[in-house]
Amino acid sequence: MTPGPKRLGFLTDATLCIGCKACEVACKQWNQLPMDGLELTANSYDNTKDLGASTWRHVAFVERFDGARPSFDQPPFQSGWLMLSDVCKHCVRAGCMEACPTGAIIRTEFDTVVIQQDVCNGCGYCVPACPFGVPDLSMFDGKAHKCTLCYDRLTDGLEPACAKSCPTDSIQFGEVPRLMERARNRIEELRRLGVSGARIYGDDELGGTGGIGGLNAFFVLTDEPEVYNLPANPKLPQDETLPGLLSTLGAAVLLGVGLIFSFRKR
Amino acid sequence: MRHVPQPESRRGPRRPAASHGAPPIHKPHWKWLIVSYFFLGGLSGGSYVVATVAELFGHTDDRDTVRIGRYLALLALVPCPVLLILDLGRPERFLNMLRVVKLRSPMSLGTWGLVAYGGVAALSAAAQAGVDGLLGGPARGLRSAPRRLIGALGAPLGFFIGGYTGVLLGATAVPIWAKNARLLGPLFLSSALAVSCAAISLVLALLPGRREDALARLRRAETAASACELAAIAAIHLNSGSIGRPLASGRLGRLRLAGSVGLGILCPLALHALGSALGLPRRLVAVVASLASLVGGFTLKYAVVMAGHASADDPAATFEYAGGQPPAPVR
Repeated sequence: MTPGPKRLGFLTDATLCIGCKACEVACKQWNQLPMDGLELTANSYDNTKDLGASTWRHVAFVERFDGARPSFDQPPFQSGWLMLSDVCKHCVRAGCMEACPTGAIIRTEFDTVVIQQDVCNGCGYCVPACPFGVPDLSMFDGKAHKCTLCYDRLTDGLEPACAKSCPTDSIQFGEVPRLMERARNRIEELRRLGVSGARIYGDDELGGTGGIGGLNAFFVLTDEPEVYNLPANPKLPQDETLPGLLSTLGAAVLLGVGLIFSFRKR
Repeated sequence: MRHVPQPESRRGPRRPAASHGAPPIHKPHWKWLIVSYFFLGGLSGGSYVVATVAELFGHTDDRDTVRIGRYLALLALVPCPVLLILDLGRPERFLNMLRVVKLRSPMSLGTWGLVAYGGVAALSAAAQAGVDGLLGGPARGLRSAPRRLIGALGAPLGFFIGGYTGVLLGATAVPIWAKNARLLGPLFLSSALAVSCAAISLVLALLPGRREDALARLRRAETAASACELAAIAAIHLNSGSIGRPLASGRLGRLRLAGSVGLGILCPLALHALGSALGLPRRLVAVVASLASLVGGFTLKYAVVMAGHASADDPAATFEYAGGQPPAPVR
């Protein structure tokens, strides 16, 4: 693969995920990320809990539990457990990138969003600016980290480590338009199989991306996004910058007049 | 298995647990350093604005108000860059903030605003020092600087420093901030002006001499700013709905609200009313009321920042704020 004007991304199909966490391990190995400690949540097989500075792929284990008593007759497909390998969405309009005051966060030639580690000064503004809770500050080096979509592998013509290691092709890597076509076919197939809740999360044409304008890393889900801990309609935080400044300007005029009236000669 | 609180749905009240209830967004790391910066930056910008208005529109006996305002604007500003740099994960790289200008990033705007404002605040304070005969040698020439012109040009920057921090919080995914993105700027700005009037009053009341008229004008200005602040707080509570819970609920939430509204706004008003009714010494009343106002102003910024932490940790708040139409099933 040669660098060029390509939109590269992930299609992560939750219906194919078996929760093996090979993607988490491959990501940590390739990107030399530190371990997260040996904590267990005690209510799930999930031990990494969250995306963070040292976890760029996170396999969420969602136990569906909808009553006081466990049910023994579960549907044969997507039954008691839902699994999803969550990752940075490489948004078409990226909140982290727009927030970054140093210009450390850039859009690459692959249309992915990457934090330049030699520029980031750890201000931490990208952390709450991401509507998906992806970037985080590292306690080791004080800088913000997140998935780079294996930028170093892409420049060498290799696919990202997580997609390479996924044994079920739940994580598929490629050009976004092609992946999207594949996702639509997959949705049709799932519907034929009777999975009525199947949907794409992160396609601008279908909605669900709010002000983000589309996700380069998108998902096939079988239930509402909140079930997978994803917001249904994420907003781009910086769309509030101008309205916020204008309302502050209005307040400044009002307060200025109030001050002048308080001090003027009578 | 622990049963996790569920987000409310339009399609039914009961939802499967979202992966063990982990917050879907990350909260910022901002704590005391940033709260202190919000307070001191507001105090600085507000003092500059008050001094400018008193200089351009005030009486001759407002001269001390101008003088205190100019010095306070610089004094309160000096710790600000230190606080901000200490808060960085990599403080030695603070200059990277000056690599780019990004009009949609309030933090980038604020960095440049702070640089420009630092210049005028220092210039105005130096010119004031020249007039006050505190400068010797060639620096004495500063006393003939066009102080009123510099003040008029710098005042918009003072307003900006007082208010942009609210816009900065609003331009995030934190539900309680984002939902009130258009109200936090006005809230922080009016709070900044109120604490500035209080701080100038405090110094004025502690200086010797009769200053009743100047103090009365500052009190009038503070009351106007506090009224705006109260209106902004009320608007935020009305606008937030269930997302606003962390601002008012819980023991800490109530304490913060009582601190910022009670101590910062109502206590000074009540003290002044009681003071004139009971004939208490005016200077004492001014000192106590100003201290209450300053503590209240700090509490307000603390309350807003900590409410953001609680809000970011509440999945239901995020799912309500970023709710709406879920992705439509294909075809």
